[in-house]
Amino acid sequence: MPENSSSGTGRRILTALASLKLTLVILAALGAGIVAAYLSATPTIWALAVPLGAFAGNLIAAVATNPVFRRKTALLIFHLALIALILLIAAGRLTYLKGQLELAEGEVFEGQLTQEESGPWHPRRLHALRFSNEGFTIHYAKGVRRGATRNRVAWMAPDGQLRRAVIGDQNPLVLSGYRFYTSHNKGFAPTFTWHPGSGAAPVTGTVHLPAYPLHEHKQAIEWTPPDSRTPLWVMLQFDEVILDPAQPSEFRLPSAHRIVVRVGEERHELGPGERVRLAEGVLEYNGLRNWMGYTVFYDFTLPWLFAACLLAVISLAWHFWSRFSARPWDKPSTGTS
Amino acid sequence: MAMDWEPLTLWASLVIYVLAGSLAIFGVVLRKPHEKAVLALLVPGLALNTVSIALRWERLGHGPYITMFEILLSNIWSLLAIYLLAYWRIPAIRPTAAVVMPILFVMMGWLLVTSPHEGHLPATYHTVWLFVHIAFGKLFLGNVLVAVGISGVILLREARQAGSRFARLPDDSRLDELSFRFMAIGMIFETLMLIAGAIWAQDAWGRYWAWDPLETWSFLTWLSLAFALHARVAYKVSPRTGALMVLAVFALAFLTFFGVPFVSTAPHKGAV
Ligand code: HEM
Repeated sequence: MPENSSSGTGRRILTALASLKLTLVILAALGAGIVAAYLSATPTIWALAVPLGAFAGNLIAAVATNPVFRRKTALLIFHLALIALILLIAAGRLTYLKGQLELAEGEVFEGQLTQEESGPWHPRRLHALRFSNEGFTIHYAKGVRRGATRNRVAWMAPDGQLRRAVIGDQNPLVLSGYRFYTSHNKGFAPTFTWHPGSGAAPVTGTVHLPAYPLHEHKQAIEWTPPDSRTPLWVMLQFDEVILDPAQPSEFRLPSAHRIVVRVGEERHELGPGERVRLAEGVLEYNGLRNWMGYTVFYDFTLPWLFAACLLAVISLAWHFWSRFSARPWDKPSTGTS
Repeated sequence: MAMDWEPLTLWASLVIYVLAGSLAIFGVVLRKPHEKAVLALLVPGLALNTVSIALRWERLGHGPYITMFEILLSNIWSLLAIYLLAYWRIPAIRPTAAVVMPILFVMMGWLLVTSPHEGHLPATYHTVWLFVHIAFGKLFLGNVLVAVGISGVILLREARQAGSRFARLPDDSRLDELSFRFMAIGMIFETLMLIAGAIWAQDAWGRYWAWDPLETWSFLTWLSLAFALHARVAYKVSPRTGALMVLAVFALAFLTFFGVPFVSTAPHKGAV
């Protein structure tokens, strides 16, 4: 009968797909894919995705057809946990977000990232989140070696209460599943008020200079004020040593500094509270703050991955335990294992 | 001047290890085993090694897991501790010391040419996951090392000169079974090490996995273990082939533990 023979064919395909020899080929292919991806400069997602897909197919077919899994519950749970892991990793890749942002002290995050990558199905809930950077301390050991970062943050909880916390290093701020981590990127942020010559309302904002101490000798940046066409070049100038290689120190603002502003051939120096008239408006320098760079990571699968991993090790240990305790290693086996 | 106990205890422990190892090797070669004496040497050797590590820990304020010197030092300690446990509990496999001790000799030689300078403890190392991760890693490698000792005996038995010297041990298929039990236990610990490492990486660097050199190589080691365990289920693998697979897994693990930190300056390159 056609019905029977086609289901017979299906069954045969499933059994072939469940082959343990195929598992070996797939494990080897996955290893090779990882090495290829590792050595190649360009992203080689297929070198991993294809063997992982085959891996899942092989596993599912084996779990469905191999009678071993009927007899050994622990082994079955272990392999089910492996299937769950692969599916979770795939789900995570489709929905994750990884990004970067910078906030000057006192500034509020309003959903903007300076850099990001995300899976195609990422649920965009980031723009609704708010938190403010309330300042940070970072201690350095001798030799300018960074110690702990302590960053005070505040945010509005869903119940309308203002919450505060200190984050830094391994302690992220977690808002709606988004994890905000401080990064090693931080620096100085001069604050300016721009009074447009057109008479439009003045605008206040910060300019983030290149990261400090990473770009210690390049504390300058080019930037264009709002509604203006002329780029300005601003540089922070100070003489003192902030992070002394010879002794422990702390990240802080310089106690005395000047801001150099260049527009074409013009050169001006500003201290806090001073202003300069330029062709398209008046630039007022308000003072210096610092900025912190954050990375943000979203992956809803994290707790599930953890659960699947725990299930996998516990069931694997259980499987081996029951196998090994059934028979001492130095007694020959009697029949099947 | 007060005596500097840290190098003194280290040197004493290394000398004792070399004595014990030599005794084990000559015991096999000359067919005059002194297994109890080897045991009696390894125990105080390990004790002195422990004291030396504790003094360094006390002096620097952090454990031995930053510099290459510290990684070698603490692994010599943990590998010996785990092997010693197996040596004590399973007398039938004591001649494997003739295979295992030379591997440790290589690590000791390497330790002696490595600078014992102090490293900087990154901020991301202040977490309990560091200890969990490292402990599981050491348990993994220790179990694989015992399997390597047994596999070495299986392979050496084929050599005409050496074979008869291991005649007292159980037959190859028994050894093969035992060796793969250690590999299975190793698989559990390797899995736990990867999980703890991923949790740490998520906490410390905001991502649980990013294929940095150590992550890549430790995952390859995990795959090779899965491959070896499956090969034994899918085929009737001879003790010889099984032993070769054990050595392959160990080689990968060894490269991961000591090769990758050697070529990159920090254990997790670019991520501290
Ligand atoms: C990397 C992923 C995998 C790991 C770590 C893994 C691990 C294991 C382990 C440790 C055992 C027990 C071996 C023993 O008792 O000596 C086992 C058995 C088994 N595995 Fe996997 N496995 C994986 C993937 C797969 C896949 C893709 C399949 C699909 C065919 C599969 C099918 C089986 C079967 C059928 C057994 C039972 C064999 C028997 O006891 O007769 N495994 N696996």
